[in-house]
Amino acid sequence: MTESELFQRYRETGDRELRNLIAEKYLYIAAILAKKFVGRGVEYDDLYQVASLALLKGIDRFDERKGLKFSTFITPTVTGEIKNYFRDRSRLVHLPRKVSELRAAVKKTADELTESLGKRPTAREIAEKLGVSEEEVLSSQEAGGVVSLDRPADEEGMSFYEVIPDTDDVFDRIDTHDAISAAVGELSEDERRLVGLRFTEELSQAETARRMGVSQMYVSRMERKVLEKLRERLRKSMA
Amino acid sequence: MNTIFELIFPLRSELLTSVRLAAGGMCALKGLDIEQTEDCKVCITESLLLLKHRGYSSASVRFFEGEKLSVRIEGMGEGEAEESAEDEISLALLSALLGEVGMTEKGGRLLAVSFEIGS
Repeated sequence: MTESELFQRYRETGDRELRNLIAEKYLYIAAILAKKFVGRGVEYDDLYQVASLALLKGIDRFDERKGLKFSTFITPTVTGEIKNYFRDRSRLVHLPRKVSELRAAVKKTADELTESLGKRPTAREIAEKLGVSEEEVLSSQEAGGVVSLDRPADEEGMSFYEVIPDTDDVFDRIDTHDAISAAVGELSEDERRLVGLRFTEELSQAETARRMGVSQMYVSRMERKVLEKLRERLRKSMA
Repeated sequence: MNTIFELIFPLRSELLTSVRLAAGGMCALKGLDIEQTEDCKVCITESLLLLKHRGYSSASVRFFEGEKLSVRIEGMGEGEAEESAEDEISLALLSALLGEVGMTEKGGRLLAVSFEIGS
């Protein structure tokens, strides 16, 4: 059976066994793409899982009548999901040993600077804040190794999540909430819908795309533009 | 466009880490954020793999001055081309990460890949 026939039959019958067959046939794409993103602080197995789930979702959305090859269709979808995973993973920190220690510091500083600068920091900005060289920052990103915040941090079984203090000030949060509400209010209807689906309902880009009836790439681009607009408006309102 | 930095090296897998490190340095110099830097490194690696699969024995990676960071990855030398099923994925990945990718071809053979990255 050709690729097109396989997808046509699955589309017509919705047969789960056929879907499994397709998934097994193309699982190698998930493996290849997961490998491409190793070295950014997430284990290969986790990336492979994210990629495999994206593959399954993609199988349901693929329409062979549009003339695209499945591998060409699925690669951006899986890539998008992996990149979302990097953005969303907030419950992971790096082990504090040698390179891992610097890696953890880089991650923490990058998060802090993203908040204070309103944009993702450069390696130079991170290096200046940490008092290390840019080269050290860059090479620390080449090393791997992460641990879950749910992992015990001490002998009493407290997790890292429980022992790391929440540094947010409640009044700051109220100010931030007001500023964000005002900035979101200035967005178009479609943009507000995207913000609601992505950041209130916390849906993936793929699911947001499905609900809005557009492609995942479109959502990705729109999201980037919306975030830029919001950052700009927040910067102005806080100036 | 003026070249800021150029690397010429044999297309051997064990050298890719060095190329990635150098690319990271250039991204830092240009002020790209960590995510863009990682994407740039992936795109350079994919471009080099495409060239390797087309039989080139060496390659050059050139970084140019400009509003964004411009990169051109060019095949050097001749060799036996070996088809790879992964090429299609590499091409789709480049498009997914960059949006626009320049492919320079001659007689159907890929000569170079170029792209711009940054905001």
